[in-house]
Amino acid sequence: MIQFNIEASSGIPIYRQVFEQVERMIVNGYLVEGTFLPSVRQVANTIDVNPMTISKAYGLLEERGYLTRLRGKGMMVAHQSEEKSKKEKMMILDKMIAELVSDAVQMGINKQELLTLIADKAEQLNLTDNINSQG
Amino acid sequence: MTIQISKLSKSYKNQQVLTELDWSIKQGDVIGLLGKNGAGKSTLINAILNINPADSGSVALLGEDNKVLTSETKARIGYVPQQNDEISWLTVKELILFKKQFYAHWNDKKVAQLLSRWQIDTNKKMSELSVGQGQRVLIILALAHEPDLMIFDEPAAALDPAGRRDFLKEIVNLAADENKTIIFSTHITTDLERVANKVAILHQGKICHFDDLDNVKENVVKVSVITDRASDIKIPHAINAHQDNHQVNGVVTQVDFLWKKELESQGHQVDITPMSLEDIFLELTV
Repeated sequence: MIQFNIEASSGIPIYRQVFEQVERMIVNGYLVEGTFLPSVRQVANTIDVNPMTISKAYGLLEERGYLTRLRGKGMMVAHQSEEKSKKEKMMILDKMIAELVSDAVQMGINKQELLTLIADKAEQLNLTDNINSQG
Repeated sequence: MTIQISKLSKSYKNQQVLTELDWSIKQGDVIGLLGKNGAGKSTLINAILNINPADSGSVALLGEDNKVLTSETKARIGYVPQQNDEISWLTVKELILFKKQFYAHWNDKKVAQLLSRWQIDTNKKMSELSVGQGQRVLIILALAHEPDLMIFDEPAAALDPAGRRDFLKEIVNLAADENKTIIFSTHITTDLERVANKVAILHQGKICHFDDLDNVKENVVKVSVITDRASDIKIPHAINAHQDNHQVNGVVTQVDFLWKKELESQGHQVDITPMSLEDIFLELTV
């Protein structure tokens, strides 16, 4: 069962949080093509939210090509083209980096310090220049 | 429309509580009615149900004038008052049997389930129950005949955190059946964030804001512009804005993305920050 981490009091609507969490799980390969998602009612019951909220998130995921609706069977993870996946990955990273940079600004860290931190981390994790070779 | 309210006014002595209030509610909506203490939430609910009639204006419930509801329509409505004023000398068991007589449809299984889940001793008199337990009995009574329209006045107020969660869960289950319309009033925003799909804010005698909870969160946001000419910047749709040397801050009811793009192209930094419902509520009712 997928674990959702919902913050009801956050300024981000709950359907957005569900959408983004499923999106991440699909883009990073945790949910593979053909996997069925739990039903709207199941998710709504587990995380105590209005089922309409989950329907909305699933609908949006379908619209964006992450999920396919199979009549009577539910929502299945759709085939993700490599080109599209790459683009989505970059977009997700872009968002995370924006948050990171804005936090760094608030802490008074300058650009060079931040870049050095990132480069060090990449070094530690053996990130090569050619991202594709990491699979 | 499940509820159609038009020009509803009500005052007590010299105090105007509802002022020509208009409000339409569609079938299937789960609505959190937010208002500060004393905003008139109970007055509005009592006027909708004609328990304490309005001075003027009209209310249609499930297509009928609320002053002349047929018994069939009455049976489709469930209501939980803020205060327990049920017959206190009856035991819970007796009260349930008494109430059951008034309805053609009554779900005994659901009643039994909730009684056991909430550990209510049905041999106790209503007057012997704690406030929270009494509230739970009222909720059970309101759900037993499986109404199409349910109105709860501060339902969670007397419940402990576990009871609140349980009650909200019950609302979630009801909401799963998309034909049910649910309104519950509260002054605690966290009570409605998980279950309501719409939020209505009662302020100064009117419903000043009524929209999808998601829209409210996406549209009502903080906008700040970092700029060297703060005095020239006017944030569109701002409900309040203030500026200091190099920054203009404001809360908007809608983001003007064209305006944002234009400012950014001129080299200004425009930041948008989402707000919690609690902050939004406070901003909209200043």
